[in-house]
Amino acid sequence: MQTTSSHILRRSLRSLWENLSLNGMVAGVIAAALLLAGAYLQVLINLDRMMGTWDRDVHVSAYFYSDVPEDRRFSIKDDLAKLQEVDDILYISETEAGAYLVDKVPDVKPILDEFGPEVLPASLEISLREAFTTPAEIESFVSRIEGFDFEDIDYGQEWVQRFESFVSLIQTLGVVIGLLIVTAAIFLVANTMHLVVYARRAELETMKLVGATFAFVSAPFLLEGAILGILGASIATVGMLAIHHLLFLRLETYLQLAIGNETLVFLPLGAILALFLIGMLLGMAGCLTAVRRFWKAAS
Amino acid sequence: MIRLYHVHKTYGKRDALHDVNLHVQKGDFVYVTGPSGAGKTTLLKMLYGAVSPTSGKLLVGGVDASKLSQKQLPFLRRNLGVVFQDFKLIPNRTVADNVGLALEVLGMPREDIWRRARAVLNTVGLRGREDAYPMDLSGGEQQRVAVARAIVNDPAILLADEPTGNLDGAMAVEVMEILLAVNLRGTTVMVATHDTGLMNRFPNRKLRFESGRLVSS
Repeated sequence: MQTTSSHILRRSLRSLWENLSLNGMVAGVIAAALLLAGAYLQVLINLDRMMGTWDRDVHVSAYFYSDVPEDRRFSIKDDLAKLQEVDDILYISETEAGAYLVDKVPDVKPILDEFGPEVLPASLEISLREAFTTPAEIESFVSRIEGFDFEDIDYGQEWVQRFESFVSLIQTLGVVIGLLIVTAAIFLVANTMHLVVYARRAELETMKLVGATFAFVSAPFLLEGAILGILGASIATVGMLAIHHLLFLRLETYLQLAIGNETLVFLPLGAILALFLIGMLLGMAGCLTAVRRFWKAAS
Repeated sequence: MIRLYHVHKTYGKRDALHDVNLHVQKGDFVYVTGPSGAGKTTLLKMLYGAVSPTSGKLLVGGVDASKLSQKQLPFLRRNLGVVFQDFKLIPNRTVADNVGLALEVLGMPREDIWRRARAVLNTVGLRGREDAYPMDLSGGEQQRVAVARAIVNDPAILLADEPTGNLDGAMAVEVMEILLAVNLRGTTVMVATHDTGLMNRFPNRKLRFESGRLVSS
């Protein structure tokens, strides 16, 4: 057993050393494939987190008719606050709404001044409890409060649902693209490894002729593929860290409105380990394909 | 030790071997002779499983070699020693590594491989050349390395395809003497050659082929 292990290790390391440039190409192909997959996964994970944030923090804005007296508005607010779905409720008067808008968009101040401070409707900003944030429950809540004196109720969930569908489409596309990337990577790794095998064809053919089994010949190549896969995954991880710090974190400022107080995250440890495993399997599959192709052709 | 029953081998429309029947007993030393293209190399390749017969039955050491699967073939080859016409030495491996290859595939410990390889290299007159590379050796020395690799695992059968083809007279005699010494230890030896001088100098049974047919044995 020890003899076999040392044989496999010795031959793998020797082949890695003797075919440095070709093996570098294999590691590069694996790294490129994993970098693409990893960056895609990182985008998906952050989109998913973003949606989670929105789902957790669903706000319903209910705008009063302008003629509803202020004491009636407070009475409605108190009634709604008693509903089990409501987590928090805030009354925003016409003046507060105008001030908020001017604060966010200073350019509208002259227009507001012209029309008067009460041009915007008063509203109730309702936060729902997390347990009532599914689309069906929000719809049900909104239909229940429609009977009060509201001119319009806006909850933005339709947009969230559309975005969820969009993310779901991206996830499905991700699976298809991931499969394509893996297939292309296996093809490229196998073809590059074929050059490594070809460089050692004399040795392998002689080994076959003196009684080597396929397992004996292919085991060092499998280890070589696994080592190249780990190397490729390491390069890809470093690349993804660089992208995360140089690109994603800079984007955070521009995405503040969408992500609120959340930060864009790097891949979790489990996903990184999965990428290493995929890298190893890619390397091994590519090497095995190349050796098998040679083995069938050799006498 | 080797038996062929009505063996045919065709490449396209050409008969490489035609209805060959023969029997080589354990411990025999036989020459396979005939002009170029007579079927000598095809016969040897068939014996070590590099080509399969188109029809007929082929027993090597009691094993039906014509029915072996790719998975079983290595185990037949481990009982054979083969000296290839083109030596098949690995250029970037040392002489000792080349000789030890036949033992390495058996999973033998490295120290034992080294010890056996040195002993066999001593037998073929290459003592002290263990760490040399094939390219540093003369044709005769390379041929002896090929013989050393073929006998290092004490095979029951030794097949040699034109083992003296690239050698001058003295070198050829040296290689033949090594093969005869191996035969004296009980190994069945089959040598493909068309060197009549050597066959006369070391007389043994001759299997003569012409156009794929065994015309005398």
